[in-house]
Amino acid sequence: MTRPGENSDTDNASPEPRVPAPPAPPRRREPRFAEQEGPAGPRARGLSAQVLALPSRSPRLQLSLPPGNQELTLPAALAVLQGPCALPPALAALSQILEAGHMSTLPQKESRMTTACPGSDSIQGLPGNKGDGLERECSRKPDQKPLKFYGVGDPTAMFCSSSPYLSSRGSIIKWFWDSAEEGYRTYHMDEYDEDKNPSGIINLGTSENKLCFDLLSRRLSQSDMLQVEPSLLQYPDWRGHLFLREEVARFLSFYCRSPAPLKPENVVVLNGSASLFSALAMVLCEAAEAFLIPAPYYGAITQHVYLYGNVRLVYVYLDSEVTGLETRPFQLTVEKLEMALQGANSEGVKVKGLILINPQNPLGDIYSPAELQEYLEFAKRHELHVMVDEVYMLSVFEESVGYRSVLSLERLPDPQRTHVVWATSKDFGISGLRFGTLYTENQDVATAVTSLCRYHGLSGLTQYQMAQLLRDRDWINQVYLPENHARLKAAHTYVSEDLRALGIPFVSRGAGFFIWVDLRKYLPEATFEEEVRLWRRFLENKVLLSFGKAFECKEPGWFRLVFSDKTHRLRLGMQRVRQVLEGQPQVAEDAPPRQNQEP
Amino acid sequence: MGQMFYQESDFENTVISYDLSNRGIDISALYHLSFQDYNTYQGNKYHKDKNTLGYINLGTSENKLCTDLLAERLSQSDMTYIDEDLLQYTDWRGQPFLRKEVARFLTFYCKTPEFLDPENVVILNGHSAVFSALAMVLCDPGEAFLVPTPSYGGFAFSTHLYAKVKLVPVHLESQVTEANGYPFQLTVDKLEQALLGAKIEGKKVRGLVLINPQNPLGDVYSQDSMMEYLEFAKKYNLHVIVDEMYMLSVFDEAITFHSVLSMKSLPDPNKTHVIWGTSKDFCISGFRFGALYTHNREVASAMSSFGYLHSISGIAQYKLRQLLQDREWIDNVYLPSYHFRLQEAHRYVTHKLKALKVPFLNRGSGLYVWINLKQYLDPCTFEEELLLHHRFLDHKLILSPGKAFMCKEPGWFRLIFAARPHLLRSGMHRFQQVLVEQEQEHRVKQLEDAMKEEVSTSQPETPASPVLRKS
Repeated sequence: MTRPGENSDTDNASPEPRVPAPPAPPRRREPRFAEQEGPAGPRARGLSAQVLALPSRSPRLQLSLPPGNQELTLPAALAVLQGPCALPPALAALSQILEAGHMSTLPQKESRMTTACPGSDSIQGLPGNKGDGLERECSRKPDQKPLKFYGVGDPTAMFCSSSPYLSSRGSIIKWFWDSAEEGYRTYHMDEYDEDKNPSGIINLGTSENKLCFDLLSRRLSQSDMLQVEPSLLQYPDWRGHLFLREEVARFLSFYCRSPAPLKPENVVVLNGSASLFSALAMVLCEAAEAFLIPAPYYGAITQHVYLYGNVRLVYVYLDSEVTGLETRPFQLTVEKLEMALQGANSEGVKVKGLILINPQNPLGDIYSPAELQEYLEFAKRHELHVMVDEVYMLSVFEESVGYRSVLSLERLPDPQRTHVVWATSKDFGISGLRFGTLYTENQDVATAVTSLCRYHGLSGLTQYQMAQLLRDRDWINQVYLPENHARLKAAHTYVSEDLRALGIPFVSRGAGFFIWVDLRKYLPEATFEEEVRLWRRFLENKVLLSFGKAFECKEPGWFRLVFSDKTHRLRLGMQRVRQVLEGQPQVAEDAPPRQNQEP
Repeated sequence: MGQMFYQESDFENTVISYDLSNRGIDISALYHLSFQDYNTYQGNKYHKDKNTLGYINLGTSENKLCTDLLAERLSQSDMTYIDEDLLQYTDWRGQPFLRKEVARFLTFYCKTPEFLDPENVVILNGHSAVFSALAMVLCDPGEAFLVPTPSYGGFAFSTHLYAKVKLVPVHLESQVTEANGYPFQLTVDKLEQALLGAKIEGKKVRGLVLINPQNPLGDVYSQDSMMEYLEFAKKYNLHVIVDEMYMLSVFDEAITFHSVLSMKSLPDPNKTHVIWGTSKDFCISGFRFGALYTHNREVASAMSSFGYLHSISGIAQYKLRQLLQDREWIDNVYLPSYHFRLQEAHRYVTHKLKALKVPFLNRGSGLYVWINLKQYLDPCTFEEELLLHHRFLDHKLILSPGKAFMCKEPGWFRLIFAARPHLLRSGMHRFQQVLVEQEQEHRVKQLEDAMKEEVSTSQPETPASPVLRKS
């Protein structure tokens, strides 16, 4: 989100008219946490910023607010926004939280997916996975030009109430939870259950792999997992038990195909990648400094770096439209990185690092070694740390895409500033086990993160189980990975064929648990309000998706659809998606021509 | 916890790095200072057969008396259950089944007048995490908590690292000044003095931290005293964080522990927050489990946001539930053995201390005794305290010096006795050696000083003899 009057340089490039700065409190650069101002300050400023960031297709700034469709002039819009939160924070935050898995799980009824999944026999013929492997069916909207190249995130933009019992930052922190809580309740009060609640909500919003529970449950129940050594019950080495760090180093050496064996002393173990981002933000940045992140991105990172660290994200906006040197939608280029960095600098935002997610979430995109190298060179030029989040590295189910870990590069441009994040949550479908790891050659960074590990430790017994799991190369290579990939592929095929039949463009490249779906033609107006409205219509029809705004996507109308679920739920979920879309008028001129549907 | 030497005044950055932020450097330096002994110990632990020259750690308050019982209990078949819910994302406040069990458990062991509500429970991965998150949500950076000292040093760490919250010590004194008083007694008078002092210095105090049973003193607050402290807090609009980590570690049967949750009516229930965990009472510090109980839903909600960063494995949560619900095992097997072993170890150590004529606070709770080694310091300063601490380290023995607890008077140490007998025996042997050595040196020094004086008074111009200079 950009702030009023702060981005004049970049705004020149866009057709967006200059909007005079609203009467907001004076801009301040201090960390929000250090501020003592009352709730009115952040609200007024945050929301006005929100207005400016809204893309508009008409020359006059228009804002339609739920409920109703009334158009507002700027002062009127501000008046509405400064009342009770106009766009319920719950809705905005829900999707982020779903993303982060703020959900309990659905009951498991089926243990096999592949046989039951329609379309699993046509995996080879999956269109769009040839060539560059990316589905390129994005519709073009000639009048929708990019408004911004970057945005400076303000996680508290929508904050609107403070508590007498809490500190200022405590009130914001509570608001994070409450806004999540509300959506969470909606889903939880009405969770789908095949027998008990067949008309309940199907969750295609949370990125969890629900396809391999049978395999994991069996493996984790084997006798080697059950050992209870007294030493496991005592305070550990805060960096993680040595036996586990050794195992992680071996594991990553093998699966990341590192040119030289990785070292246990470069490994720090903690309870999930969320904690890692929190710790890295703390030790690499001062309060109110920032990391660059290409958007759309996994939205939960916003809170991870903000909660304790008070670190912001600067979004590097990517476009669905392919222009110039790009070869695929939402492609990250060094040019875009440079522009975002410059933009942030011009606003006085100090950028300390770059976060790359590879395979990307929510795009499912994969960076080639050459691209990675370019991004790393960019970071080196500007002395930025690079955090490479590879939590989906073993969830590449399309072998032809040729995924390469950053640890496999022969020579890193700046090894001391390259930090790799991995976890078992996604790749092993055990998000509830809370295990994440950092690999960095920089001992200062490793030690600094270790200093915070007291707060992010995991049980010795869990550490032991993780070591046993990662050590079992036979099971991983011969049982787990082939089966997991086959199931992911089958589920992906099913959903992508369904989408194709509906004439819905999407982006997907054979990695991750999700498809990035283009529903722009179903929005009567290209606004985030319409996006939320469509999202709510899905929810009313008992299927939960994540909307693009939660990933800070610049273009309204994109949704992330998670397909790594059991067949019966997936089928029902897709059916409900279809029902909503069929009842939704399409914006005729924006609909892509039929012949574009198949390559 | 490791050794805590953190005192703001003498804390200097020893880490230089071009890759870290200033606060990253600060965090690293503090960690290095605080945990260097602990890390040395981790790398060279005493073992009765394999490494008899390794470090004996009587400094870290870790309960090693009953790991056998816990290992056995945790190996039973009911612990091995796995279902999908345990492996997937869950309620970040803690699994509902565990919050329910914690509420039941505390209702029973804290003898609460009414059933506690699982919705008031927030579960995070350890006491430190709970405290760190509380500091975040109750204070803004630079604001402060009052804490009676000597006090558990980990607070300084947990308030500083992430939250940048300050501690205002309420200095207690060993000297008994009032009738019916006792050493290091906390009074409302002292609380008020400290609060006033903080106000004068311009510090904004948001809360009071009480540890009950106290660490490192081993004191258990009477109901009346507790009520006075709570009334004080209410009067000045302060939150009260009551840390009851040692509530089941009261081994002297003559002492009755009263949980703050047992009070019929709390003066300010919306500002009273209780922390408990299994690290001390159940000897499983490696399990990483801490719970907050608060009537204040706003605090509970704000704390829940941290569930993400301080989460516990679903499998571990299941095991904890199984453990806490096994009331029969806890009451009939675990607690009796645990208390018996604490009594034995305490008796052994206090007997030794008496024989060595080392004064100490004789309390019946906790895993530690607070001992007075002032007589071994000459002069009685914190520098000498640190030197004595290093002498212990030279003899491969770790104790915690009083400064780590923000004690105002030099010379106090905390000695952990919750160790297996062979370890305790070797540890106390080393302890005795150090004191003997210290005493000898002390005597030589006194003699030298006396000689110097003599020399200087008789022949002021003559330099000291080589023999004397050698020391």
